[in-house]
Amino acid sequence: MRHFGKFTAAALFALAAPFAAPASAEDITIGGLFPFSGPNAVYGDVLSSGAKLAVKHINADKMLSGELSIAYEDTQALPQPAVVAMQKLVSVMNVPFTLSSFTGVSKAIAPIGTRNEVVMVNGGGVGPDLAELGDYFWNVIPLANLEVRASVPYAVKEMGKSKFALIYVDDPLGASILKEIESVLEDVGGELVSEMSVAPTAQQFSGLAAKVRSSGADAVYIASYGAQQVQIAKQLRDNGVDAQMISYSAYGVPDAMALPENEGAIFTAQAVKLDTGDAMTTRFVEDYKAEFGKDPAPYNVNYYNATMLFAILAQALEAEGKEITGANLLAKRKEMRSFDLVGGNVSFLDNGTLLFPIDVKVIEGGAAKTLATVDIQ
Amino acid sequence: MLALQLTLTGLQAGALYALTAVGFSLIFGSTRVFHFAHGATFALAAYLFYAVEAAGYGFVPGLLASFAGAIAFGLAIDWFIYRPIQRDEGSFFTVFVASFGIGIVVQNLIGIFFGRSFVTITSPLSRAREVLDGVYVAPLAGIAFVVALICLLALGFFLRTTFTGKGLRALSDDPELVRVFGLNPRYLSAAAFAIGSALVVPAAVFTSMSSGLNPAIGHHVMLISLAATIVGGIGSIPGTMIAAFIFGLAENLSLLWFEPQWSEAVVFAILFAAIIARPSGLMGKSAAR
Repeated sequence: MRHFGKFTAAALFALAAPFAAPASAEDITIGGLFPFSGPNAVYGDVLSSGAKLAVKHINADKMLSGELSIAYEDTQALPQPAVVAMQKLVSVMNVPFTLSSFTGVSKAIAPIGTRNEVVMVNGGGVGPDLAELGDYFWNVIPLANLEVRASVPYAVKEMGKSKFALIYVDDPLGASILKEIESVLEDVGGELVSEMSVAPTAQQFSGLAAKVRSSGADAVYIASYGAQQVQIAKQLRDNGVDAQMISYSAYGVPDAMALPENEGAIFTAQAVKLDTGDAMTTRFVEDYKAEFGKDPAPYNVNYYNATMLFAILAQALEAEGKEITGANLLAKRKEMRSFDLVGGNVSFLDNGTLLFPIDVKVIEGGAAKTLATVDIQ
Repeated sequence: MLALQLTLTGLQAGALYALTAVGFSLIFGSTRVFHFAHGATFALAAYLFYAVEAAGYGFVPGLLASFAGAIAFGLAIDWFIYRPIQRDEGSFFTVFVASFGIGIVVQNLIGIFFGRSFVTITSPLSRAREVLDGVYVAPLAGIAFVVALICLLALGFFLRTTFTGKGLRALSDDPELVRVFGLNPRYLSAAAFAIGSALVVPAAVFTSMSSGLNPAIGHHVMLISLAATIVGGIGSIPGTMIAAFIFGLAENLSLLWFEPQWSEAVVFAILFAAIIARPSGLMGKSAAR
């Protein structure tokens, strides 16, 4: 047994050795901080697929002097593992640019990235305070405050709902949605009759359903993510809650669509025009379908755009003979201002966030159908 | 009415916790192996049921697959992981770390084979109906409660009346004496793992229909099982069962006064209070003899 153990260790080391070899000097590596394990692991594949396709396109087009690759790190969507992963990317791999996701994760890594002048681009987290994390933190997704400003007035004015219950995850995202809903409901004449925070790891919500029922709410806003948001929806319906369910862009994942209890639920997502006819959008849509066998969702677009944004900036820096560093990438973004990405030409706001219109969607027959598109200024 | 509703949901949760916690308590009490991978057994059993049921083979084949998988997994862990460690006189902590590692490996393997998404079995049994004004109960809740009661009574009967059951109780009291009496501790250990693992199956099946599954589902189950085993008294099946129901009720009734985010904290506050007030547990034997 001991010999077998030594043999196994040696074999594993031998197998791992080639992968541990340092990349050649001309290769360019950027980071990718996504959850690949834990209750939010479903997002790992969803978020990284757009980035993977972008890398394929960038390398096929030889946009950069070397091969681009992404060093993926598993954050479990939790701040602590994310900080460890970010330290590795910054200190060991010396990446100038990393993709980020989730509000709590992004807020945790932002000081490290800023201190080390590493650009961080978020295409998944929607906490409103992500717009205030400094020059090196950019968002290619509209933040949740904008989503709430689209869905809640829609539910009040178009669906006649006025009594809202809010179930929110106890983290920075949940807290910011609570703040935004309180403010928006006051403006549109609705009322927040019940607010309940849940721990990010909680999985039992039948008791919570009883509280929602007793509150008399006719709409319930679910501000969670991953497996938890779907578990909440299922357990609400199973336990006799028939109020209109409302959520935000995190709901645009396959398992939320597939849950029969979600039929009729509305959620918001950034409006992405995939029928613009421009070359980049057409290529993205066709290749995404070919590669992953399904239509691209906004998250896929965001991380494709985020990775492509890096390539555009790095290409411009290389053309000028400048080094690809975080500081140079930031300066180049401010200089170029607007970019041709999937969905058309986009511009960054001064706080490093892209502004998109918001779609209000309804889940019907396992798919999302757009009810309205709201322009938020 | 809200209090009554929360009591009913608490009893349902308690029944599921009792089934998993009693399995862990039986294994830990009999073998002194800190089987942290019990949560992985739960997850595996639930996903096997889901896979067979979702493939269209129906409830009974799903249940059988779940039982077979859970028992085989429990026995395999005992044979191939714990025994080699114990043979080399590995410490209690070594066994714990190995078990913890197995839990993580299984979670990732489930993610690889079944996907990382939320999955559930849609069943009309999980849909609650209004039984009193403002009080909803799902048929599954009643079934879970009755099944838990039957399983736990059957386990009690087995431990009191059968040769193997008495051997398991003896193993928990004094393993050396078991050898002196000519009983085989290895056989008894295997029996503990087989029965303890099988006990998670009803809870796993009910969970797949009520709250749904994700690969990390075993973690919460394991925490509750551990807490119930300590509060109930290590090795005490009735004590563990009572503690599991206390936790299910506390988790739900705490919503009358606290935010839902504190419900897990309430469980662990009870754990700490119990450790301080009664270190040997509700029905455990005092170590100072």
